[in-house]
Amino acid sequence: MKRFSSILIVAASLACAAVANAATRPHYGGTLRVSVQASPQTIDPMALDSAGFRSLKQLVFETLVKLDDRGRLQPLLATSWQVEPGNQRWRFQIRNGVIFSDGVPVDASVAAASVRAANPEWKVFALGDLVMIETSSPVPNLAAELTLPRNSISRRSEGKLIGTGPFTVAQWDAAKQHLTLQANDQYWGGRPFVDSIEADFGKNDRDQLMLMDLGKSDLVEVAPEDIRRAQGGNRVVKTSQPAELLALVFTRNAQSDDEVHLRNALAISIDSAALNNVVFQAAGEPSGALLPNWLSGYAFVYPAGGGGATRPRVSHSVVWTFSCDTADPVARIAADRILLNARDVGITLQIVNSENADIRLAKLALPSADPETALSELARDFQLPVPTFSNSTISGLYSAESMLLQSHRVVPLIYLRGAVALRTNVHGFKLLPDGSWQLDNVWLSSETP
Amino acid sequence: VSFRRRLLLLFALTVLLSVATVTAIISTWTRRAFDHANDERTAAFVAQFHREFENHGEEVSRRIQSIAASADANRMLVAAAQRTPDYSPFLDTAQVIAETQRFDFLEFADDRGTIISSAQWPAKFGYNQPLVTQSPPNKPFLKEEELPSGPALGLFAIHSMTAVGRRLYIIGGIRLNKSFLATLEPPAGTSVMLYETLDSATFSPDHLISAVGAPGDADAQQLAPIIQQVQSNHREFGTVIRGSSGGQTVNAFPLTGENHQVLGVLLVASSRQIYAELRSQIGAAALLAASAGLILAILLSSWAATRVTRPVEELARAAHEVAAGNWNATVEVSTRDEIGELAESFNRMTRDLLDHSERLVQAERVAAWRELARRLAHELKNPLFPLQLTVENLLRAREQGQQQFDETFRESAATLLSEISNLKNIIGKFSDFSKMPQPHFQAVQLRELFEGVIKLHQAQLTKAGIHCHLEISTDSPIAADPELLHRALSNLILNAIEAMPQGGTLTLRASQRHDSVRIEISDSGSGLAPEESAQLFTPYYTSKPHGTGLGLAIVQSIVSDHGGRISVTSEPGRGTTFIIELSANRDKLPAAQRTHV
Repeated sequence: MKRFSSILIVAASLACAAVANAATRPHYGGTLRVSVQASPQTIDPMALDSAGFRSLKQLVFETLVKLDDRGRLQPLLATSWQVEPGNQRWRFQIRNGVIFSDGVPVDASVAAASVRAANPEWKVFALGDLVMIETSSPVPNLAAELTLPRNSISRRSEGKLIGTGPFTVAQWDAAKQHLTLQANDQYWGGRPFVDSIEADFGKNDRDQLMLMDLGKSDLVEVAPEDIRRAQGGNRVVKTSQPAELLALVFTRNAQSDDEVHLRNALAISIDSAALNNVVFQAAGEPSGALLPNWLSGYAFVYPAGGGGATRPRVSHSVVWTFSCDTADPVARIAADRILLNARDVGITLQIVNSENADIRLAKLALPSADPETALSELARDFQLPVPTFSNSTISGLYSAESMLLQSHRVVPLIYLRGAVALRTNVHGFKLLPDGSWQLDNVWLSSETP
Repeated sequence: VSFRRRLLLLFALTVLLSVATVTAIISTWTRRAFDHANDERTAAFVAQFHREFENHGEEVSRRIQSIAASADANRMLVAAAQRTPDYSPFLDTAQVIAETQRFDFLEFADDRGTIISSAQWPAKFGYNQPLVTQSPPNKPFLKEEELPSGPALGLFAIHSMTAVGRRLYIIGGIRLNKSFLATLEPPAGTSVMLYETLDSATFSPDHLISAVGAPGDADAQQLAPIIQQVQSNHREFGTVIRGSSGGQTVNAFPLTGENHQVLGVLLVASSRQIYAELRSQIGAAALLAASAGLILAILLSSWAATRVTRPVEELARAAHEVAAGNWNATVEVSTRDEIGELAESFNRMTRDLLDHSERLVQAERVAAWRELARRLAHELKNPLFPLQLTVENLLRAREQGQQQFDETFRESAATLLSEISNLKNIIGKFSDFSKMPQPHFQAVQLRELFEGVIKLHQAQLTKAGIHCHLEISTDSPIAADPELLHRALSNLILNAIEAMPQGGTLTLRASQRHDSVRIEISDSGSGLAPEESAQLFTPYYTSKPHGTGLGLAIVQSIVSDHGGRISVTSEPGRGTTFIIELSANRDKLPAAQRTHV
C-alpha cells in the first residue's frame, strides 16, 4: 500500500510538472487584442506618437540599432557600427539576409535612403554593405538617435510603407481607428508567436478597462491616475519608470526680466506634489527637470514647484491665456488646479481653447531611453534650440538641460509612469523603463479560469 | 369766421371735451384696477417663489442627509480621522455623488475646513471651505459659489457628521438657474427672471436668467436700472417698461444671503397687453362717440344756424345791396324775436333812406335847375346888355340925323352881330354838354395822341412862352375814343395855357400801371387853393372871368365814359397836375383790333 502510494505520488508529480511546463512554454498562434488611447491618422514612423502606438509601429518598422531595457545600444538591422574620432563620421554594417515584408532585400543603399530622408542635414550614403553617415558637427549620440522611430528603415510600394519587422500591416482603417498586424513569416529574427495583433485606437481609459473586463481586449493602456483602480481582478498591471512629462510650455520667449520673474513665480506657485498625489493618484513624481531622475541621475537637483503657504504674491497682476486638452477630463482638472495655484500668487490664467494661448499644458512621452536623444527630442517638441553635447558625460547632459530650463519656456511639473493592464493569458510582454512596449515575444496561453 | 362756423366749433369742442373727459376717467379707473390686480398677482407669485425656495431647500437638505449615510461619506470620515489624511481617492467622489443625487454643487470638507472633494470645482481639493470655519448655517441658504466658469448663485444646505472625534461637512446645493425658474409656474401673462448679482456691481446681461430663454439685449438693458435700484436700496422696486404689446410691469425683489447682502434679484414681469387692449378698446369707443358727437354737432349747429343765422345772413345780404346802391332792398320778416325786430328795423331804415334819397334827388334837381337858370340868366344877360345899349344908340341916332344914324347903324350892326354870335356860342356849349356822345373804342397810341394835341396848340404855346415837355414810358396802345380823348386833353392844355400867362413849362406824362395807364398834365402856373380844387369838376363852376364852368366838367364826363378817373393835385405857387387813370379797356375793342393791344 505504501509502495502504491509512492507510485501515485510520483505519477501525480510528473503530471503536474507536465501541465506546468505546458503553461509556461510559448505557444504559437492566437490574436493579441490591444486597445490604445491615441487616435493616430497615419502609421508613418515619422509621426510622433504615444508610447503604445510607437511600440506597435516598431513591430513593423525596424531601425538600424535599438536600445535595450537598460538603455544600451543593441544591433538590429545593423550588425555593428563604428565611429571615427571626432564623432562626425559613422559607419553601420548592414545585416545580411534581411528582406522587406514584400520580399525585397534590404541593402545598404535602401537603408541609407531611409536614414537620409529622415535626416536631410546629414550626409548619408551606402558603401558596399556599409551605411556611411557624416555630420558637419560632432554628434556623439548619433547611434542612439538612430533608434528613434523616424529613423526606421522602410520603403514605399504601391503607396504603402513596408518595413522589415516581425509583423506586417494587414489592414489600417484610419476612420474606424483599427489596425491589424499580421505575423511576418519571413522575419529575419524568426516568426513571432502570435498570428496577428488587432489594435483599436481612440479608446478612453474607462472604455479600455471595460473592454478588458468583457474579454474583448488583452492589453490596454492605463492612465496614470487609473493605475490604482485598474489593479486587481483578472488582469496584471505593469508600470514603467516615470516616462511621461507634464509641463507648462510658454509659446514665446520671455520679453523682459519682469516676465522672467512672473514665470518663476508661476512655477513656484504650482503645488506639483498635490497635483501628483491627488489628480494623478501618486502615479508619478513631481519634477523640476526635463529628464526623469532614473534616466539622468541628477533630476533631484531641480526642485519641483512647491506650493504651500510660502508662495509670495507677484507685485502686479498679470493675465495669461492657458490651453490644455479640454477633451481629457484629468488634464482639465490639472489645468484648473494650476489656475487656482496661480491665482493664489496673483497670476490670472484664462483657459482658452486655442493654439495661440500664452501657455499650454503639455503631456509628452519620453522620446527615448537615451538621455541625450531624449533631451534633444524634447527640445524639438518644445520648439527650443536643440542642445549640443560637448561630450557624452553626465556633466555635458546637465549643462544642456540647464540651458534649456534657463530659457524659461518650459516649467516641468510631473513625470508620470506609463502603465498597461494585461490579461493573465498574455505572456512575454515587457514594459520598458521609457514606457515602450516589447511585443515581439508576446504569446498567448489559454486563459485560466 | 362766420357765426355758423363758430357755432359748429363750439358744439364740436363741447362734444370732444365731454368725450375726452369721460375717456380719461374710464382709462384711469381701468389702469388702477389693472395695477391692483397685477400687484395682487405679483405678491401671490412672490409668496409662491418663497415657498418653492423653502421646499427646494428642504429637498436639498434631505438629500445631503442621505449622502451622509452613504459608504463614501463614511470612508471620507475615516480618512479624515487618520493622522495624515490621504484624500486622493476622493478626487471625483463628489462629482459622482452629485451626478446621482442631482446636485449642482457638492463639496466635502473636514473639520479644519479642508475641501476633500468638490463636484463643482474638482481641482479645489485641499483648499479652504470658509463655510466650515465660520459658523455654518443650520437651514438652507442662498450663496454665491465660485466656479471655473465664473460665480453662480445657488440654494445651499450644509450637514455635518461626526465619528471618532472628527467631523465631516457635506455642503450641497442646486443652482438657481433656468430649470429652477421653470418649476415656479408663473400665472399666465407673467414671466419670471433672476439676476445673479454675484461679485460685480456692473450690470451684465449674461447674469440674467429666464425660464423661457435668455432675454434680448435690448430687454435686458431696460431691466438694468431696476436691478441697480434694488441693489443699491436693498428694497423691492417696481416700474413699467414701455414696449411692444403694451409693455410690461416689472417688480424686482432682492434675494439676500446669510450676511444680508443682495446676491440676486427676482424679477416678475407682468404683461400689460390686456390693459393695452382694453385701453385700445376704450380709445376706439371714445373715437366712435366723438365721431358720432361731431356728426350730431354738425347737424345741431346746422339746425341752430338755420334758425339763427339765416335772418342775420338775409340782413347782411340786404345791407350789402344797400351799400351797392340798391336802396329798395328789403328783408323778409318771418319771426317775432329779436332777429325779427332787427329785420323790421332794417326794412324801415331802407324805406326811410329811400324816401330821404328821393327827396334829396328832387332837391338837387331843383337846385341844378336853379343853377342852370342862374347861369343861363347870367350868361345871356351879359350879351343882352350891349344889345340893349346898341338898340338904344340906334334909336337915339335916328333922331339925330341920317348921316349920324348910318354911322351908328354900321357900328351897332357889327356890335349886334358880335353879341349874337357870342350868344350862339354860349348856347352851343350848353348844347354840347347836354349832347355828350358815347365813346367809340379803338386802339390809341398815347404818344401819337399827345403829339397831335401839342401840334394843335403849338402856336398858342409858343406865343405864351410855354415850353412843352413829353414823358411817355409806354408804347402799348389803349382802347379809347381818340376824338373824345383828344378833346379832353385839349381842354386840359387850354386850361394850362391860361394858368401860365407869363409862360412856363407844360409836362405831359404817360405810364403803364398793370392793366391801366396813368396820364398826368402838369403846369408850372400859380396853382389852386384847396377849395378851388374841390369844386373844379362841378359843372358851371369857374374861376375865370369869362368861363362857362363846363370845360373840366366835359373832361370828367369823357374820362368817366371811358371807365376812368380824374383827379387834381395843386398847391398855390407850385402849379397844378391833372391825373387821369384809364383802364386799358381791351374787352371793349372790336375782336380784330384786340390782338394789337
